[in-house]
Amino acid sequence: MKNNIEVLDAGKHSQLKVITGRGAEFGENVHFVPVVADELRSLVLDYPIVLMKDEQTGQFSLFALLGFEPGENLYLNGRQWSASYLPLHVRRQPFVISYASDAAGDKKSAALSIDLSSQRVQNDMGELLFNGDGSPSPYLTQINQLLAKLVGGMDISQRFVQSLAELDLIEPAQINVAFVNGEEKSYDGLYTVHEENLQALEQSKLAELHSKGFLQAAYLMLASMGQISKLIEMKNQRLQQAVG
Amino acid sequence: MKRIIIVGGGTAGWLTAGTLAAKIKESCDMGPRITLVESPNVPIVGVGEGTWPTMRNTLRKMGIRETDFIRECDVSFKQGAKFAKWTSGADNDFYYHPLILPQDFNHINLAPHWLDQGAGQSFSEAVCPQEALCELGLAPKLITTPEYASVANYAYHLNAGTFSKFLQKHCVDKLGIEHILDDVLSVNSADNGDIRSLSCASGSEIDGDLFIDCSGFKSLLLGQHYQVAFKSCKDTLFLDTALAVQVPYPDENSAIASHTISTAQDAGWIWDIGLSSRRGVGHVYASDYCSEQEAADKLRAYVKASGADADKLDYKKILIQPGHREKFWHKNCVAIGLSAGFLEPLEASALVLVEMSAQMIAEQLPANRAAMSIVAKRFNKTFSYRWQRIIDFLKLHYIVSKRDDHDFWIDNRNKATIPDSLQELMELWTYQSPWHDDFDHAAEVFPAASYQYVLYGMGFETQASFLERSESRRKLAMESFQKNKMLTQQLVQHLPTNRELINKIKEYGLQKV
Repeated sequence: MKNNIEVLDAGKHSQLKVITGRGAEFGENVHFVPVVADELRSLVLDYPIVLMKDEQTGQFSLFALLGFEPGENLYLNGRQWSASYLPLHVRRQPFVISYASDAAGDKKSAALSIDLSSQRVQNDMGELLFNGDGSPSPYLTQINQLLAKLVGGMDISQRFVQSLAELDLIEPAQINVAFVNGEEKSYDGLYTVHEENLQALEQSKLAELHSKGFLQAAYLMLASMGQISKLIEMKNQRLQQAVG
Repeated sequence: MKRIIIVGGGTAGWLTAGTLAAKIKESCDMGPRITLVESPNVPIVGVGEGTWPTMRNTLRKMGIRETDFIRECDVSFKQGAKFAKWTSGADNDFYYHPLILPQDFNHINLAPHWLDQGAGQSFSEAVCPQEALCELGLAPKLITTPEYASVANYAYHLNAGTFSKFLQKHCVDKLGIEHILDDVLSVNSADNGDIRSLSCASGSEIDGDLFIDCSGFKSLLLGQHYQVAFKSCKDTLFLDTALAVQVPYPDENSAIASHTISTAQDAGWIWDIGLSSRRGVGHVYASDYCSEQEAADKLRAYVKASGADADKLDYKKILIQPGHREKFWHKNCVAIGLSAGFLEPLEASALVLVEMSAQMIAEQLPANRAAMSIVAKRFNKTFSYRWQRIIDFLKLHYIVSKRDDHDFWIDNRNKATIPDSLQELMELWTYQSPWHDDFDHAAEVFPAASYQYVLYGMGFETQASFLERSESRRKLAMESFQKNKMLTQQLVQHLPTNRELINKIKEYGLQKV
C-alpha cells in the first residue's frame, strides 16, 4: 500500500479520527519493529532485541523481534497484544514526523504528519485530533510527546550502535530453533552484543561507555536474548493450537 | 634475531613490513624490531594496480579496515580478467578467467562434461557465475556483506601510489614499524659474508640480522651487492616495454568495470584497470616486434575507442626485464618484489608474489643464524618453483592462441620458446583435462582451475577419454551445471553495480561483521 503522508492541519483535519486499538488490519502482523535505546529497559521484559542491517546502507539499527517469519507477530492475538510494554514505533502509528525543506531548499523543519492511507484513519470512529477550537486534543498532545521521544531516541540509538560497531562489540547472533512440529530453522542477519569483547574491553573505554549509559544498554540487549525462548514457546503454542 | 631491516618503501616494502609485524605481534611478546629505510629521492614505480583475492587476507591480518582501504586507495572490485582478441583476434573474441572456482570443483571435474556438450555456453559461463556478473558490471558483494567477506570471490584494483602511502601510515602508526628516510650508500659485510650494516647518506649506520631487499628494479642488496645473477626469460615471454596512461572517467558516476580487461594487440596486449577515480591503461609490448611509435598509436587508438580523449594523454614508459634472480635468499638477505624479478602483468602476479614471500618469511622466521640457512634453502626452492609455474602459466596464454596475423604470435608458438615443463603438461592435457593432481599443491600459485579457464576459454581441445564417463558422474555434472545456472540468476538479481557499491561504501562504510 502506498503511503499518503500529509502535514497535520487543524482546519483540514478537524474531523479526522484515529482508531487506537491493536490488530492485524493495522499492519501489526510484522515479525520485527524498530526500537530505540531509551526503550530497552522496558522492552527487555518481553522482547528479544537485536541489531539488523539496513539493506540500502548496511548500517545497524535496533529491532525488537516479534516472530520468526514475515507476517508473524506472536504477541498479537486478535485485538490483544500480550506484552507489558508496547514499542513506541507501534504506538505512534499512523503519525510520522516529516521533514520539509524551505524555499531555499536546504533548511529542514520537522512537522507532525499523518499517513492517511492507514486503516486507522477514519471519519466516524476513534479519537479526534483537534478540539472544537482547533487546539490539539489530549490524544494528539500525547502522540506529540511520544514522537518527540522517538525522534530524540533515534539519535541516541544511532550513537549507541555506532559505539558498539567501533569497539568491535557486535557479533552475528546464531539463532537455531526447533519447533514442536519438528521444523528446524536458523536465522541469518541478526546481530547482538559481543559479550566476550565487552568483558575484555579496557577500563577507559568501559568508563566512556558507562558515562553515556551505553554499557547498561549493551547488557540489557544481552539479557533480552533470553526472550528468544519465550518467542519459541509462543510459536509452539500456536502450532499446537492449530493442530488441536 | 633482533632486528629486521627492509630496504625500500614501495608497495613491496610496506606489505612485507606489515605482514611481518602483524605476525610477530600475534606470536611473540619480544619479537624482532622492524625498520624500513627508504630513499627520499627515489620515486616508486607504482604500476602494480591489480591484486589477487589473497590481498583481502593480507590486509585483514595487518589490522586494516577494508572501508579505509577502499576509500583512500581509489579501490574498486576485481572479479577476474577478460581476455579479448587473444584466440583469433576477431572483434567478438573473448573469454574470462574468473576468480570463483568451477562449481563443485572439489568433487567433480566439469571440463570433460562441458566438452561433451559441444558449443553453446562458454566454459566459464557454464561453470561459474562471474562472467555474467562482469558483463553486467556488477559488484561481488552487498553493502550488508561484512568487510573482506564476499558473495562472489574478489580481488582489488587499486592506486599503487596512494596504496604504499596508506600502508606506510598504518605500519608506522599502528604496527610500530620504525621508518627511516635516508639513502643507502654502501653495504658493510661481516666476516662470514653476511650483511652487517648499511651506511647511509646522513652518516648513520643501520645494523640488522636480516635484510630484506625491496629496493625495486635496482636490487640494491641481492643484485648489486651480492651480484646474484639475473635469469632472463625473454626467450619465453617476449614483452619488454610498457607504456602506461591514466584515463579519467567521463563523470563521477561512470560505470566501473568489475574485472581487468586485457586486449591482445599485434605484438603484446593492453591492460585496462578501472579504479574508482580513473582508469589505468597501458600497452605492454615486445620491442623486437613493435616500435614505440606503433605501440603508442595503438594505445591512443584503444583509449579513443573506449570513449575517452586520447590526444592529450601523456604516457609513462617503463622498461621491463622479464625474469628473476637465480635465487632470492642469499646469506642474510632476501629480495621481495621487483628486486627479485618481474614478469608482464598479464595475471597480476607481482603483488601476490610479494604477499606469498612476506608470508613465508613471517611463518618461518628463523630464530637464529643457523636456522636461517635452512629457511633460506627452502624459500629458494619454493620460489624458484613458483616463478617457473607463473612463467609457464603466462606462456600458456600465447601458445593456445590461434592468431597468425603477426610474427609475434607465430614465434610465440615456436617450440624452442616453450619451457619443457609446459610442453609436457600441454601434451597431457591433449588427452585429459587439467586436474588437481597435475600440480605440486603446497607451492602452487595457479590452481588447475586457472588452467581450465584459459585452455577452454581459448578453445583448446582435449580428446574424449574414459575418465569421468560413468552415468552417475554425468548426472552429477548436470546437477552442478544446473546449480551454477541458479546461482548466476540469483546473483544477477541481487548484486548492485560496482559503481553503486563503491559509492555506498564511500558514504556509509562496510561493517566489520
